[in-house]
Amino acid sequence: MRPLDRYSRQTIFQEIGEEGQLKLLQSKVAVIGMGALGTVIANNLCRAGVGYLRLVDRDYVELSNLQRQTLYNEQDAADQMPKAVAAVKHLEKINSEIQIEAVLKDVNSGNVESILDGMDLVVDGTDNLETRLLINDACLKNNIPWVHGAALAGSGLTMNIIPGQTPCLRCLHPELPAPGSHPTCSTAGVLGMITGIIGCLESTEAIKILIGSPRINRKLCVVNIWYNQFTYLDIEQNPRCLACVEHKFEYLNSVKGSYTVSLCGRDSIQVIPAKAGDIDFQTMAEKLKNLGTVKYNPFTLNFSASNSNLEITLFQDGRAIIKNVKDDQTAKSAYAEYIGL
Amino acid sequence: MIYLDNAATSWPKPECVYEAVNRAMREWGGNPGRSGHKMSLAAGKVLEETRLLLARLFNADNPERIIFTLNATEAINLGLKGILQPGDHLVTGSMEHNSVSRPVEALKEMGITVTKVKTSPLTGINPVDVENAIQENTRMVVLNHASNVTGTLNPIAEIGDICRRHGVVFLVDAAQTAGIVPIDVQKMNISLLAFPGHKGLFGPQGVGGLYIAEDLCLNPLKQGGTGSESKSLLQPLFSPDRYESGTPNMPGIAGLGAGVRFILEQGIDRIRHKEHLLMTKLLSGLHNISRIIVFGPDTPEKRAAVVSIQIKGMDSLEAAMILDQAFEIAVRAGLHCAPDAHRTLGTLENGTIRISLSYYNSEEEIDILLQAVAAIAGQS
Ligand SMILES: [Zn+2]
Repeated sequence: MRPLDRYSRQTIFQEIGEEGQLKLLQSKVAVIGMGALGTVIANNLCRAGVGYLRLVDRDYVELSNLQRQTLYNEQDAADQMPKAVAAVKHLEKINSEIQIEAVLKDVNSGNVESILDGMDLVVDGTDNLETRLLINDACLKNNIPWVHGAALAGSGLTMNIIPGQTPCLRCLHPELPAPGSHPTCSTAGVLGMITGIIGCLESTEAIKILIGSPRINRKLCVVNIWYNQFTYLDIEQNPRCLACVEHKFEYLNSVKGSYTVSLCGRDSIQVIPAKAGDIDFQTMAEKLKNLGTVKYNPFTLNFSASNSNLEITLFQDGRAIIKNVKDDQTAKSAYAEYIGL
Repeated sequence: MIYLDNAATSWPKPECVYEAVNRAMREWGGNPGRSGHKMSLAAGKVLEETRLLLARLFNADNPERIIFTLNATEAINLGLKGILQPGDHLVTGSMEHNSVSRPVEALKEMGITVTKVKTSPLTGINPVDVENAIQENTRMVVLNHASNVTGTLNPIAEIGDICRRHGVVFLVDAAQTAGIVPIDVQKMNISLLAFPGHKGLFGPQGVGGLYIAEDLCLNPLKQGGTGSESKSLLQPLFSPDRYESGTPNMPGIAGLGAGVRFILEQGIDRIRHKEHLLMTKLLSGLHNISRIIVFGPDTPEKRAAVVSIQIKGMDSLEAAMILDQAFEIAVRAGLHCAPDAHRTLGTLENGTIRISLSYYNSEEEIDILLQAVAAIAGQS
């Protein structure tokens, strides 16, 4: 068998061809976040023969992931496998001719550039806007194209950000929304089908960008599979965009962004969101009530998760004390999951 | 913002402190005691002036026995590790900060035996218990002047006298009292006085010091350039050079000097009097709020400007966060880096809310705090 035969259905497709396939085999791609989107993306890119995949995630597989995170199985959850490691283990059996690397890290402003170092493309599998804006900064600065994607409930969106050619994510989001002002996958749920669709759109665009196709999508694609909508919206560059116009990388330089403070004494960590909010405890309690016990008074909202010993004390300005967590990243993830970053 | 976390770092500082830090960088920017040019001499002058002012404040005869460190923690480490040898015995209390408890724990590993004397949160350590703990091989007693959790003052002068009679080195951690409570190293028989620059002395963070009695020669924590005896590869024997290797924190020292000058000008008695007034108001106000537990002595005379409380049935960290975000009041909650003290108080689980005052706080601020505490205690 010739080396490219395993990709024959893809090389026969004229837009890719053997030339495109060779480009894919020489390409390096980082997938940031190995959840619902990331598993779909990594699976597609692995099978398509992208030569080098760097899969970045620090979380562990849980049973409630299996509804949509397509690479994992019950054994991975039982073994509490790190997602990136489990993904590599399964993908290696699918394509042993490419290189796949697991990076067990959470992306932050300190490590993002080293994580993206040497990559030809970055694909978004993350679950919060703050990390995406950080990736946006790092990719613009280092001239790396990236594919943004997100999904929630029955809807999702994706867009390509090619430095110097397209608007960037910060053109769309000049500022972070107030903490707690938007739903998260934990509070609003997410369908495994929409993450599948968005993940597939993202990986298609990834391949187009890698082979230099003229058919790259330059619009914002918005999909709602429950209400039967599939839309491509025009987007314009913000002429004063701090990131892609002025090259002021505020997230990368950590001027922006949430941070954490360990509290003297116990397994408690304070999370301070990038922007102060004005949280309505009644609305928030409504969002959280199916996930655990919620109580609130004029000063604080107390939430105890039903599936773990995690406790969150939320204050009106958006700050929160996360209890029973070991480190900053876990605290931040819990905040992103239940309150929203 | 009402700032009541002065036991951690005092704020604001007297205007002259900000000015001195600025001038240290703009006008006195040379390296002190190293070169003969005007800039170096100007820095050297500020350094020696600050020593002089500190010596005056603590009634030390010789300013050269005041040496600068990074903070009180470094000064305590130098005091302990510069004196104690394997086989020595050390006496300390049960209400100490980790700046004492942790190095003491490390010294145990090196073959130094330790007696921790139970300390009362209400009256401090009992001098009789200290005297009874002294053994034949006791080399040192180390105690705080006031607890950083409850503010409880220890009877330093009485213990100093005991140490003098037994020929034992007396190291005092003055983190909560330097600049706040009068200290006289001669009258109180203090052999080593460790103090921070950024609390009661109104200096910037990153500077502190140690007073070393004339008859003591410590092993320095580090060796290096001093600008003196440069031909020799051996660390100088004389103070302060023996203990001050490398370029010092000049902006910090200049700011500290300005802070000490401010205290000497105002008079420490006046500062103490103002803080008494505020503390009296605070303590009586707290006693009138239901569900509040107040730790430490009832009278301001027996404490530094620090008080710890708990709101019954409420997490201390949460209460402090509410004070911060709903009432714009800065206090500290948790263990205050003093687990031994919380073990003594029985507050290791929940910690405490610590309110610490400064000369710059006002009665109105205390009123606002009391209203806020009452509102929180009434709600939760
Ligand atoms: Zn932009």
